[in-house]
Amino acid sequence: MPRPQPRTITFTIDGRDVSAPENTMLIDAARQGDVEIPAFCYEPKLGQPVGACRMCLVEVEGIPKLQTGCSTPVKDGMVVYTQGERVKSAQQAVVEFLLLNHPLDCPVCDKGGECPLQDITFGWGGGISRFIEPKRHFVKPLELSPLIAIDRERCILCYRCVRFSQEISEDYQLVLLERGAHSYVATFDGHPYVAPFSGNIVELCPVGALTSRPYRFRARPWDIEGAGSVCTLCPAQCNVTVTVRDERALRVLARENGEVDDGWLCDKGRFAYQSFHVDERITEPLLRDGGRLRPVSWERALQQAAAGLARAGASTGAIAGDHSTNEEGLILARLMREALGSPHIDSRRASSLPLELHRALGAPGLQAKVSDLEFAHAVLILAADPVNDAPILDLRLRKGVRRHGLTLAVASPAPSSLDENAATTVRHAPGAGAIFAAALSAALTDDEDAARLARDAGAEPEAVRELAALLRGPVDDVPDTGETPPREVVILWGERLAAGPNGEAGIRALLKIAEALGMGGVEGAGLLEVPATSNGRGLREAGALPNAGPGLSEPASAGRDTRAIAEGLLDGELAALYLLHCDPLRDLPDSELWGRALASAGTVVAHAAFLTEGIREHATVVFPAEVYAEKEGTIVHPDGRIQRLRPAIAHPGSVRSEWQVLAELAGRVGFDLDLLSGAMASRQLFESVPFYAGLTLEEIGGRGVRWQEREAAASFPTPAGVTSAAGKLEITDTPADALELAGFRSVWDAPEVEFSPALGFLFPHRELA
Amino acid sequence: MSDTPRPHDPPTEGSATLKVTGWSPGEDVIEVQRSPAPGAAHGAWRTFRETARGLRTTMARIAEGPSTIQYPEEKVPVYPRFRGRHKLHRFEDTGGTGSDPARAGLEKCVGCSLCAAACPADCIRVVAAENTPENRVSAGERYAAVYEINLSRCIFCGYCEIACPFDAITMGHDYELSDYDRSDLIFTKEMLLAEPLERTPLRNEGE
Repeated sequence: MPRPQPRTITFTIDGRDVSAPENTMLIDAARQGDVEIPAFCYEPKLGQPVGACRMCLVEVEGIPKLQTGCSTPVKDGMVVYTQGERVKSAQQAVVEFLLLNHPLDCPVCDKGGECPLQDITFGWGGGISRFIEPKRHFVKPLELSPLIAIDRERCILCYRCVRFSQEISEDYQLVLLERGAHSYVATFDGHPYVAPFSGNIVELCPVGALTSRPYRFRARPWDIEGAGSVCTLCPAQCNVTVTVRDERALRVLARENGEVDDGWLCDKGRFAYQSFHVDERITEPLLRDGGRLRPVSWERALQQAAAGLARAGASTGAIAGDHSTNEEGLILARLMREALGSPHIDSRRASSLPLELHRALGAPGLQAKVSDLEFAHAVLILAADPVNDAPILDLRLRKGVRRHGLTLAVASPAPSSLDENAATTVRHAPGAGAIFAAALSAALTDDEDAARLARDAGAEPEAVRELAALLRGPVDDVPDTGETPPREVVILWGERLAAGPNGEAGIRALLKIAEALGMGGVEGAGLLEVPATSNGRGLREAGALPNAGPGLSEPASAGRDTRAIAEGLLDGELAALYLLHCDPLRDLPDSELWGRALASAGTVVAHAAFLTEGIREHATVVFPAEVYAEKEGTIVHPDGRIQRLRPAIAHPGSVRSEWQVLAELAGRVGFDLDLLSGAMASRQLFESVPFYAGLTLEEIGGRGVRWQEREAAASFPTPAGVTSAAGKLEITDTPADALELAGFRSVWDAPEVEFSPALGFLFPHRELA
Repeated sequence: MSDTPRPHDPPTEGSATLKVTGWSPGEDVIEVQRSPAPGAAHGAWRTFRETARGLRTTMARIAEGPSTIQYPEEKVPVYPRFRGRHKLHRFEDTGGTGSDPARAGLEKCVGCSLCAAACPADCIRVVAAENTPENRVSAGERYAAVYEINLSRCIFCGYCEIACPFDAITMGHDYELSDYDRSDLIFTKEMLLAEPLERTPLRNEGE
C-alpha cells in the first residue's frame, strides 16, 4: 500500500505545546518536544507496541489511570504530564520491581556501561532496594546458539527478542516458557536458535540477557570506539558500525538507515567480521615459486606482476568481483584500457548484454528504492531468493506483507523462504528464469505465445496468467480518469536472470514487463536488481564492463566478457589475467572451464584476502586484499544509492590499499594514473561518470545519496524505445524435457563465513537455482 | 601620533626644557630603596657579619647529630594510607565468616575494566576472558586475561581502588619503582598478584 500521509497535530506535554504526526505513540511524540519517556520494551522497529514493561507510564489529562506512553497514540489537544509525583512514584516502583530478580552482576555483565536498565535505574529509579529475600536463580549462561548466549536471570521479560522472532524474522523459534516470575525465553525443546537474522536479538536486548558469544567479555564500552562503514558482504550493503579496540574489529552493529537496511543486520554481516583477523587471511604479497606460493616483498611482487602484465599487454583479461569499490573498478578499467590497451574487462558473471540494455535497466525513471518494497501495491520476485542473495531484503518484504498489505508474488525454481508470505507462488524449471520472464511478458501483453512459453519454462500456464492478473491489479469498472494514483509494482530481480543462452531475451522480457505494467517514471514503482556481486551496479557504472566505459559510455573498442576471457585464455589469445577480489573457481559459473583456463594462463595476478582454491592453485602473484572495514572509497547500492566506505581498522601485516597497488602497477607498465590518495580516486570517479557529476565525499556522508535524485541524473544515457523495438523475443529452444542445470552461490557461501570461527557452522553448500 | 611628546620619548631637538605634565605614576610605583654604596671596610664587615650569622645556626645544630637517612639502607616509613604500587588480591581461606573455601586462591578481579574507566592517566589495560570449568581463574564468569598497569604513567591517585567493586585492586606501600627500561614499568597481572616484597616500612601508631 502507498505510504500513509500523516496529519500533524499539536498536544501539550509538561506544559509545552509540541507538534507531532497524528497517531504516533506518545513516547515518540514526546521526543519532538525534547521530553524523554523511559521504556524497555518499546522499539518502533518491532511494529505494534506491547506495553510489557510498564516503564513508560505517563499521566494524561482526562484519563484517571496512568497510561503507557508506548501504546497511547497522540491526539490533537492531548495534555500529558511526565514529571508529576504520580508518574515519578510509578516509575520508581517499576524499576524496583524489575530489579527484584535482576542480578546485580554489572561488573561481570557484558552490557554494563551500555545498558538501558543501568541508565534508566540511574535516571528514574528510586536508588534503594527494599528487597531482602533471595532472588530468582537460573543456570548461568546457556548457549542459545553458537552465536548467542542467554543469561535468563538477567531477563526483564520485555518480549523484544520474542517479538523479533515471531513478527520480524518470522522464524517462530523463540518463545516464553513458564509463567510469572519463572518465565524465561527459550526455544522449543531447547533447540539452538539458528536463523539468518538471529544476531539482531543481541542488539535488541535492553539488558545483558542475550549476549553475542564472539564478543563475550572482549571489551567494555569505554575501551572501544565505533567506526561507521558499509558492509560489502552482499549486495544489500547494510550500514554498519564497526566496534574497534586496539585496531581490531570486535563487533559489528547495525547503523540504522531506513532507506537501506531498516536497522537490521543478517548474521553474516554481524559476525563475519571475525574473518578479518584470522590466521587464514593473506597479509603479505605471495609469489608462485617452484609451484608454491611463497611470501615475498612488495617490490618483488609488484615487479613480477608488472612484468607479466607488460608482457601480455593487450592480451590481458581482468575480472572485478565482490568487495571492489567503484574507484577500484574505474582504476582497473583505466589500467586495462589506457595502460595495457586491453578492452577485456568484466565485472558480471553472465554473458555480456548489449550496452543499450544496460542503459535501459539503469534508467533513473525505472529504479525502485528499497523502501518501495515495503509500500508498493505488489512485488514480484524474479530469479532471486532474497535470503540467499541479499538477506536484509527478506525482512523488508516480510514487513511490507505484515504491516502494509503488500501483495507478494514469488517466481522461483525452488521453494523460497518467502513462500508463506506470498499471495501467489509460481514454480518454474531451474535455469528457466529468462523463459519464465518471456512467458510473463507475453501474458501481460496478451500474446498467444504465453501458454507455450510458460510450458517451456516448466510453469503452469494458468499460474502465469494469474500472476499477470495479480501484478496488473484489480480491474475496476470505473474508467481511468487519470486521478487514481498509478499502481505501484516493484520487480525484485536477480542478475542471474541474464545468465544462460536466453539471458538477453530474459532482460528484454523484463523491460517489456516493466513497460506493460507502466512502471516508467512512477514514484514507488520500478525494477530493483539484486546483482551477483556486492557492488555489481557500481562496477558497471564505473566502467568495468567489456562494452561500456565509465558512466555506461560507448568504449573505444568492445572486449571479451567473463566467459570469453576464460575461452581466450584457453585458446591462447589471452596471456594474462587480473583478478580483483575474484576467485573464478569459486565465484564464476562453469568452474571446470575456468580450471582449465587458469591452468593455461601465463600470468594470473590476484588481489585476495583468503587463499581459496582458484587462488591457491593458479595465481602467479597474490596481493593481500583489504576487507571492507579497511577500505576507502564508494560503492553503489542496487537502487543507485552511492555509499561511502571509510577505513575502520588498520591494515594487518603489509596489506596495501587496492587503488594504491593498481596505480603503482600502472606506473610500472609506463602509465601515470595520477593517483596519490583514495580521495583523488573518488574525484576521478565523480569526474568520469557524467551522472555522478559534482558529487563529493562530503555530500555522500554517512547515509549515502541516490544519484537518481540529483540533478546530474539527467545526463544518464537513457535509450529510447528499447522494448518496443524488440518485437518478438527470441528464445533458444531447449530440448524437450531437458532441464538446464544452473548453479548460484548464496551469500552465505563465502570465505568470510567459512573462516569466521563462530559463523563457520552456517557455511552452506551449493544450491540449485 | 599627536604632537604632545610622551614621557619616555627621547628629548627632541630644542626641547631642553621638556616638562612632563598631566601624568602621574599613581600608587603602582615602587620606590626602590638602595643601600649606600659599600665602601671597602664596610663591605668586609658585612661579609663577616653574615657568615657569622649563618655559622650560628650550624653550630646550634651540631649538637643534634646528623639527620641524613641512609637510603636505600634506611627507609622512611610510610603512613598506612600511603598510595604506592598497586596490588591485586586473591581470595583467602581465613576460616572466618564470609570466607568460602571453594573460592580460596581464586583471583578477586573479574576483569570488569571499571578501574580502567576510572583511571585519569589511562594507564590500566584490561582484556577479559571467560572462565571455563577446566580453567577457573576468578570467582565470577569472567576474569582478566590481561591486566597491565603502566606505572610510568600512573599518578597514584587511587581512583582504581575506589572504583573496584570487588576490592581486587588496592594501593600498596611500595614506592621503589625506578627501573632501567620504560617497558619494565608496565606491570603485568602476575607481577601485581605476586606477594610483594615488603620493602617499605609502615609508620607505627603515633609515630
